Amino acid sequence: MSMSTRIRIQQQDFDLAEEYQLLRQSDSAVGAVVTFSGLVRDFELVSELGSELDRGVDRGVDRGVDRQDQSSTKNPIDLLSLQHYPGMTESLLETIVEQANQRWNLIATTVIHRVGDLVPKDQIVLVGVASQHRADAFEAAQFLMDYLKTQATFWKSVRRNGEQQWIESKASDQQAAARWDGSDDK
Amino acid sequence: MINLLFFGRLGDFAKQVPATIEASTPAEIRQLLAADFPDLARELHQPQVLVSVNKMIVGWDQPLFDGGEVAFLPPVTGG
Repeated sequence: MSMSTRIRIQQQDFDLAEEYQLLRQSDSAVGAVVTFSGLVRDFELVSELGSELDRGVDRGVDRGVDRQDQSSTKNPIDLLSLQHYPGMTESLLETIVEQANQRWNLIATTVIHRVGDLVPKDQIVLVGVASQHRADAFEAAQFLMDYLKTQATFWKSVRRNGEQQWIESKASDQQAAARWDGSDDK
Repeated sequence: MINLLFFGRLGDFAKQVPATIEASTPAEIRQLLAADFPDLARELHQPQVLVSVNKMIVGWDQPLFDGGEVAFLPPVTGG
């Protein structure tokens, strides 16, 4: 069975139903399709905006922001911009998909990541996996997202009140990716 | 000449940096930039910053050749 891979980095939106059909129709041996889509939230936690946190405290600008709980402040955003390193990102995604294909029995894999300016509720990323059995598709989809988030050369910034802020990487994402290290207990 | 690229937040510190430089390793580039761009050099010394040559992640002592492309990569935040 030949593994088919579809990797796209694009400004335009994608159609989840179309992508699902491509995975579904990729081979008659497909018994499971898992898709994950990541969306633009209308807020970022202050803890994700490192320099903003410092300055927000200094200037007291977060006083008026609605606090959802005592540990984090949600700051609304107007725009999310995604930068990437053309050429390098594609080859990193290919490598990540190859790794997934070595660990699980996959029939078809799709990774679509948007770049440029996005607004809340926009789709950012799609990972789709088709396999004979569900465990392979579920696990591979999680692996692909965990590795994409920690290895693929994308950088997010947000804009609000006319000011651009780069998003800081999160330790929780590193921990999520690290759980796949060293254990080939598929 | 070596072509320079700065991604993510590093780009904010590199707006005045020339697009090319003469250097034999990424570490030397970082050293050369420190004179005119100390804030950028400090950022490049952060342990999480990776360097690539011709779109491959390499060590800071990787030998460079004329026409090469060196990119400085802060921690990625896609997905």
